[in-house]
Amino acid sequence: MAEDALLSGIRKSFNIGAPAEVEILHGIDITLEHGAFCALIGPSGSGKSTLLNIIGLLDRQSAGRLVIGGKDTQGLDDAALTRLRGETIGFVFQAHNLIPAFTAAENVMMPMLLSRGWADAAMRAAAEALLDRVGMTRWRDARVGNLSGGQAQRVSIARALMMKPVLVLADEPTGNLDTAAADGVFDMMHTMNQEQGMTFLIVTHDPRLAKRCGRIIELVDGQVVQGAA
Amino acid sequence: MIRWLPFEGIAALRFMREGWIQTIFILVGVSLGVAVTVFETSILTGVQANFLKRVLTSQAHIVLLPPDEVARPLHDGPGIVEDATLQRPNQRLRSIDQWQTIRATVASTPGVRVVASVASGAAMAVRGDATASISIIGAEPEDYFRIVRVPDYIVAGTWRLTSDDILIGTDLATLLGVTVGDRLFVTGRSPTPRALTITAIFDLGSKGANLRTTFVAFRTGQSLLNLVGGVTSLEIAVADAFAAETIAQDLSARTGVRADSWIKTNAQFFTAVQAQNTSNIVISSAVALSVAFGVASVLVVSVVQRGREIGILRAMGARRGQVLLVFLLQGGVLGFLGAVLGSLIGAGLLLVWHDQVRQTDGTELFPYVLDPLLIGGTLAFASVVGLLAGMAPAMQAARLDPAVAIRG
Repeated sequence: MAEDALLSGIRKSFNIGAPAEVEILHGIDITLEHGAFCALIGPSGSGKSTLLNIIGLLDRQSAGRLVIGGKDTQGLDDAALTRLRGETIGFVFQAHNLIPAFTAAENVMMPMLLSRGWADAAMRAAAEALLDRVGMTRWRDARVGNLSGGQAQRVSIARALMMKPVLVLADEPTGNLDTAAADGVFDMMHTMNQEQGMTFLIVTHDPRLAKRCGRIIELVDGQVVQGAA
Repeated sequence: MIRWLPFEGIAALRFMREGWIQTIFILVGVSLGVAVTVFETSILTGVQANFLKRVLTSQAHIVLLPPDEVARPLHDGPGIVEDATLQRPNQRLRSIDQWQTIRATVASTPGVRVVASVASGAAMAVRGDATASISIIGAEPEDYFRIVRVPDYIVAGTWRLTSDDILIGTDLATLLGVTVGDRLFVTGRSPTPRALTITAIFDLGSKGANLRTTFVAFRTGQSLLNLVGGVTSLEIAVADAFAAETIAQDLSARTGVRADSWIKTNAQFFTAVQAQNTSNIVISSAVALSVAFGVASVLVVSVVQRGREIGILRAMGARRGQVLLVFLLQGGVLGFLGAVLGSLIGAGLLLVWHDQVRQTDGTELFPYVLDPLLIGGTLAFASVVGLLAGMAPAMQAARLDPAVAIRG
């Protein structure tokens, strides 16, 4: 099976003032097969968010090899990483992080607006189809500040899927939601994974939701202790 | 969504709309700055233009005069001066030698619009027991009034000037208690006084000029000043008033007479204009700097407030250049909109000022003219200042690490 993400010997260190250097990730090896639906769990401070940022090309590893969507990220400059990120990775954040100055539909269209070259009608059709898929058609023209947490997170999922990414990274997407809303959002992501075959890597503290994932990767003190491959 | 705009333009406008209180405050700041600049520059330009118009229509651009009389040292041989103490002779009223030839030369000189022969000098006006010291200007009205626009300043009567007519100023008329149609006795260098009829009273806008200046026919002037057949000056108007000094120097070199241009005789005016323009530039620069710092401070705050959103945009594939442009455009739009509003406010203030503030004679202090170049230049300048002011915050935004920005 093809790999959507391959991590080999990923290390990450932070300088906290010379000469002190703290290593957060100690040689991570993970392979995410195409269409996987994975949970990334671990105690606070174990390096989950750091790892997610590296996989999401928002941060660079100190050492190791990272391949995303079949492309080795070694040596890519900021512009190339940005392009690769925009084309292959979708993000769902804990605090949904929609842009308040835009409506729900415009937030969903945002990745296409940024990448340019898309016809207006095509963008609108794609955004409306996704909003319909996440049950948010009624609120497409609503300002995102008027949406509930669950609704905003659904819009956020639609936005993450807009560019048909090979990999969706979700950082505690249900962390701010009540149980019913959390289940709804989780179900939504699971359905998208099943229907569209996108790979999902979901950071969660909720063992109940983690158990519903096909695979659990556990990180403790910057090392994978379960589910590396 | 305004789809004819690229993403950067849409985001810039949406961010400004979302932070509308900040946007309004800075727009008011920029507008006031631009309004002050437009108002001040327009008034200054208008007053200067008005003053220049008055100067150029109340005096000749070039005056040709006979050369000064000088005393020559008496020599007793080569290099031997008989008497080393030289006393400057008094300058008696005399005619320009060969003035008809010189006038013909001047008239054929390129750039010269009109030449008038003038016989002028001091005289005494008498009306009953009242007397006044006056200056009479004897000139051919057809030529002279094309140089000095006396008819524009007439407040009573008509500018007819036959050999028995005289035009006097309002203050002289008050002093002597005369009006149009009355007669005056005028005595010049000629021992015979002339009785002249007042055909018009003028107001040149200056008490001194209104009290002393009078106009008579050319031959009347020659007769009163005992200058029959002579002229005391040739007065010239040129097509380009600012070329007067160059033409004056050329005429002086070619004719041997003294040629004074209005630029030379009004040197103080030009110094004052220069000082006004310099102070205007200093004030406008200070305003531009205030505007720039105002826009920059608002955008810096905006970047800090929108750090997380910038991170999200970067995560979704926004390039650094796109983020940079979003904030640069905000600076440019704030500068441009502020300049448009400021120009309107400045134009309105100018209109009120133009209507309310008049000269002592009731005429306008300055013409109400909005120079399109000033408005266009202000719009362009304010936009550029806005863009430059947005540069530092835009670079700050573009440099944000998306991972750090999203964490907040």
